[in-house]
Amino acid sequence: MNESGYYFPVIHNAVGIMTPFLLAAIGGLFTELTGMLNIALEGLMLIGAFFSVIFAASTGSLFLGVLFGIVITMFIALIFGLISLYLKADIFISGLATNLLASGLTVVLAFKIFGNKGVILFKNLPELPSLNIPFLQKIPMFGDIFIGHNIFVYLSWLIVIIAAVVIYKTPFGMRLRGTGYNPRAITALGLKPRNYQLAAILISGFTCGIAGAVLTLNLGAFVPNITSGRGWIALVAIYLGNKNPFGIVIASFVFGFSESFSNYAQGATKIPADFILAFPYIITVVAMIGYSVWKYYKENRKVF
Amino acid sequence: MKLIVKRKKNPENIFVNIFSLSVTMGIAFLIVIVLILFLSKDPAKTIRYFFIGPFLNRYYFGNMLNSAIPLIFTGLGIAIAFKASTFNLGGEGQVYSGALAATAVCLALPEANGFIGGSLAILAAIGVGAVLAGLSGLFKMKWGTDELISSFLISGAVVLIVNYFITGPMDDPANNLLTTREIAKQYRFMQIFPPSKLDISIFFAVLTAFLVFFFMFYTHWGYEMRMCGLNREFSRYGGIKVKFYLVLPMILSGSFQGLAGAVSVMGTYHMSVKGFSFGMGWNGIAVALIARNNPLAVIPAAIFFAYIEAGASAAMIHSDVTFEIAAIVESIIYFLITAQALKDFIRYRKRRTE
Repeated sequence: MNESGYYFPVIHNAVGIMTPFLLAAIGGLFTELTGMLNIALEGLMLIGAFFSVIFAASTGSLFLGVLFGIVITMFIALIFGLISLYLKADIFISGLATNLLASGLTVVLAFKIFGNKGVILFKNLPELPSLNIPFLQKIPMFGDIFIGHNIFVYLSWLIVIIAAVVIYKTPFGMRLRGTGYNPRAITALGLKPRNYQLAAILISGFTCGIAGAVLTLNLGAFVPNITSGRGWIALVAIYLGNKNPFGIVIASFVFGFSESFSNYAQGATKIPADFILAFPYIITVVAMIGYSVWKYYKENRKVF
Repeated sequence: MKLIVKRKKNPENIFVNIFSLSVTMGIAFLIVIVLILFLSKDPAKTIRYFFIGPFLNRYYFGNMLNSAIPLIFTGLGIAIAFKASTFNLGGEGQVYSGALAATAVCLALPEANGFIGGSLAILAAIGVGAVLAGLSGLFKMKWGTDELISSFLISGAVVLIVNYFITGPMDDPANNLLTTREIAKQYRFMQIFPPSKLDISIFFAVLTAFLVFFFMFYTHWGYEMRMCGLNREFSRYGGIKVKFYLVLPMILSGSFQGLAGAVSVMGTYHMSVKGFSFGMGWNGIAVALIARNNPLAVIPAAIFFAYIEAGASAAMIHSDVTFEIAAIVESIIYFLITAQALKDFIRYRKRRTE
């Protein structure tokens, strides 16, 4: 990427790579705030990835593709939410079920439509529009971080800001947080905590749909299980970001950077590819343990 | 947030359980039939192979029972962890690395006595699984790191590292497949139902299920572990070393996952193949759920799961749907089971989130 004129190509790529993490984590933040551990992020992303690329290729329009992808992801999220909340299923198990359904359904449909269970290339995909301003690109750091990304990157930043406003400044957001903090208070207000939880699940379906679309539309292909653990890493990003939208931006950047760095290391060093692929998982686990150690000592100091 | 968990009396009526299970299975199979009608060009043939394929001949039937063996072990491992209200989502990595460890020991000792070398291989697999899962338990005990996510992430990294060993340093140069070399003859379990791959370890698996049942319900450790699973705070008040029972179930759980890997290498594959154990860890969770964490019920639940997968692969071989149709059936069963078994599980989860 050096020939493209960025001073720190690793950072520039990290900003692009962090987008799916960021989007999924922002959606997961809503469910987390209502007191649910949403492990279905992974499966919802996969659904979004599959359907958005298929619709984008068949309609020839990126916008329609992403729109259909989001609609179908939200539909699956709705099923997941209804079963979890209204049939009172355990959200952890139904989350696992959603992930399993996503990986099964995408492969079965890919085989039905394309007769192929492997990588599916889409040749007539419209290209993602991106923001290119060559002279701003030349500014170190600023150019690396802000300029030259595809439209989804800017969309994700917009979504972060909207999410922050919704969570902290609107009655809906306050009730959402109230649902997680004290469901009985919400009930006492004459509201139903379940409705807020369902809304949160649908929001996570919305952002995961876009997150999945980023993956496949960027690549121009669908690969089975293309999400490869990103939903789980997004889940960790929520905790590392201290359940705060802007904290999540930083946490996602850390994971984006570790993946970008491992891509770079793959080209520049002789470390085997599998180790490099394992690197984001290891970083995530170490970050997660570090966070819990920090929290543990912080809380214990308060006690004594 | 403190929720007072009211413990309802759970009538352990086996007929009620079996009835509700059969309703679940009925709905799941109905959805499969609809799915096949939509996907297949010759639905009647596909449906026939899906449902009766596993019983068509000795080969299919034996292989179905054979693929239930690792599921019994992984199911037992998950059931132990669930009973203690800990969660082990790292089954995939633990099975896979257990398999690799067993293969490595067998390959390192090509001339050893079958019994001694085989025991060493099994112990190595158990050890690797126990350490991987035990780490998550240890982090939970020390600093409260969520073992559910940490076990998954550790497993994600381990799977890739095992891939490296299978395709890199331990790859068999004699063939172009991504496999290790074959283990020596004396380590292979005796086949009991030729021409299928069913081997003698099925008795071992059934015996293990009984041992786990005995451990859980008739020993001091098992009792204290279940107590911690029911109510950790109360157990602490009663003088049980609660922290110990965060680590022990994880270690046991990981051991069984590792064992599943060793058994599938020494019984069925006779080598480690890239990705050959994928799904065993996840299906273990489903098996434990269907069995409602009862070690004895794990046996039929594992056979049922093996049946679905055998049906799907028979339908794939003889007709025009893919194997992943099994994943859809399984996910529907997950949904339905959890919507039903909610009473037990909501109890567990509430305690976790307190």
